[in-house]
Amino acid sequence: MKTWIWLSLLLCAALWLSLFSGARSVPLHDAVQAFIAADSTNADHVALLYVRFPRVVAGLVCGAALGAAGMAMQVLTRNPLADPGILGVNAGAAFAVTIGALLAGRADGALLAFLAFPGAAVAAVAVFTLGGGLRGNASPVRLTLAGAALSALLISLVTALVLIRGESLEVVRFWVVGSLAEARTRPLLVMSATALAGGAILLAIATKLEALALGETLSRGLGTRPRQVQATVLLAVTLLTGAAVALAGPIAFLGLMVPPIARRITGASLRPGILASAMLGATVLLFADVAGRLLFSPSEIPAGIMTALIGGPVFVLIARRLSPGAIA
Amino acid sequence: MTKDCRQRVPSAPLLRGGVSRRALIGALASAFLSQPLKRACAATGSLVFEHAYGISTLDRPAGRVVSLGYTTQDPLLALGVVPLAVRQWFGSFPYGVWPWAQPHLGDAKPQLLIGEVSMERVAALNPDLIVAIGSGISKAEYRVLSQIAPVLMHEADDADYGTPWDKMTRLIGRATGKTGEAASLVSTVRKQFADARERHPYWKGKTAVAGFHWRSQTGAFTGADTRAAFLAELGFRPTDRVAELSGPEEFYANLSPEDLSPLDADVLVWISNFDEAPDLVTLPMRKTLNAHHEGREVFAGALLAAAMSFGSVLSLPFVLEQLETDIAAAADGRTDTIVLSAQKAGLLP
Repeated sequence: MKTWIWLSLLLCAALWLSLFSGARSVPLHDAVQAFIAADSTNADHVALLYVRFPRVVAGLVCGAALGAAGMAMQVLTRNPLADPGILGVNAGAAFAVTIGALLAGRADGALLAFLAFPGAAVAAVAVFTLGGGLRGNASPVRLTLAGAALSALLISLVTALVLIRGESLEVVRFWVVGSLAEARTRPLLVMSATALAGGAILLAIATKLEALALGETLSRGLGTRPRQVQATVLLAVTLLTGAAVALAGPIAFLGLMVPPIARRITGASLRPGILASAMLGATVLLFADVAGRLLFSPSEIPAGIMTALIGGPVFVLIARRLSPGAIA
Repeated sequence: MTKDCRQRVPSAPLLRGGVSRRALIGALASAFLSQPLKRACAATGSLVFEHAYGISTLDRPAGRVVSLGYTTQDPLLALGVVPLAVRQWFGSFPYGVWPWAQPHLGDAKPQLLIGEVSMERVAALNPDLIVAIGSGISKAEYRVLSQIAPVLMHEADDADYGTPWDKMTRLIGRATGKTGEAASLVSTVRKQFADARERHPYWKGKTAVAGFHWRSQTGAFTGADTRAAFLAELGFRPTDRVAELSGPEEFYANLSPEDLSPLDADVLVWISNFDEAPDLVTLPMRKTLNAHHEGREVFAGALLAAAMSFGSVLSLPFVLEQLETDIAAAADGRTDTIVLSAQKAGLLP
């Protein structure tokens, strides 16, 4: 119980900082006023309602989704290095959206964002298959390599497409480095609902996923159908990652670094693990965004770069701990 | 967007790949062989240019010119020197020549150099001058290119992309033996600006800012940037906050989405290289600016934004002709005079 209070307090602190720190200092009574009686000519109100509030919501949803998705992927692949970014799911979503933007001629966020889902799904299945997942021997290294290869391929295709079209690389920046800065123009409500659905599916299938993690033969003996569980988890991961990418672009390493910490706090049980991972994911992403906003104010560092700065060393740390041939 | 095209396109790692080993060896070899010959010629009445990367010497005024600067095709065409090849900056016009310069092109079909500079393609054209002012080439590339033909660079006290339009025109005029023509072109454009200032004496001392909004990033062009310089030529000064953000090497400043007040000038010109009017219309923070409420916004869509970005001896008169009425309507301090470009873009309060 105590851990949950701590996690909630941390998340609240992140939400508070995110809402009340920035280039403009908004006094508390003005902030309250903004939510009760908004004045569209008052810059304080506009900053709070249209700049910070959407960012906070996007950070909360996107961070939680990636935290939960990362946890599910790590258990499903029995791979502590699994993460929507490393396994190419982010790149798949970004690729689909970029293709759509280039074909449609205009990077019109709201509608094209939905292309993130088929993109994420195809990439997830492709990496899982390439890494040997269908044959039931997806080793951590094979999956990571397959994901890295697919990511590299897709990102270079995205760049090539943009160069051929002769447009500015800026068009693509959002889909290569994630950021919460465009939250206002993103379909917040729909994506929040999608992420919630993904999370609910994940929580519902958690016990079966735990059984599957014991090994296929044993899980069959316990009455689960491995293919069905795998497919359901992949669906949930796709919904979660797709929603996160549609809101904030690909946020690197978040789904990698948060789950191990969550497991350490909650123990082996998966359901509380997913919840803790989601809360921690949101907390870390919001803190990263605040740091990116304040560090070189008034210029901003995208949240995706901040998480990569923190997550890179964590990746190395985890990779070094893996003993060769071991399945974590 | 445009401001970034200049930064991104000529990034060092990209360009280094452009110098093939073969070209380098060939150039070094020829450099070694032609050295004594060059020194001998330099003595008699040649044109000497001192610039950021050293000294370039022309034995006689050039006629076969490769235009490597992103905007140097304009002064060349204005002087009646059709370049053999033009560097592509942005836009999709044939031969990289924008509408304001097209009448000067005639039937000529210069080659289009896209992306990194290919030394082999430049060498194959057999030029007698390479104009690389505002091209972003590195010193290493400069050395290789210098073996093909004399290379004209920006002067040491100007930033890479910061050569003023008049200086650029005069430099190119001198190198192509058209000093007189260049001087008269410059004074014609100067007179057009002076006439505009005379028609609107109340512009003097008022503030004007060239702003941009690209995806979620809003900002202002600063200092010696062509877009800021255009407004300065008309007698305007930047707002104090924008002036504070100006540095010698920076040509734009990003603003926090929470505070766009530096843009709140007597005239706010939105530079919209990709016609992103809808993004501006739905930008809530814009509606907190006085410039918005008092109808002092001007919208420069794709063509005008490009003309202001080029800021050349040909594009500046084009902008002036197109925007004078709008700037006057914005700067007069009255809400009943409507700025047509802003109305068309849906920016009116």
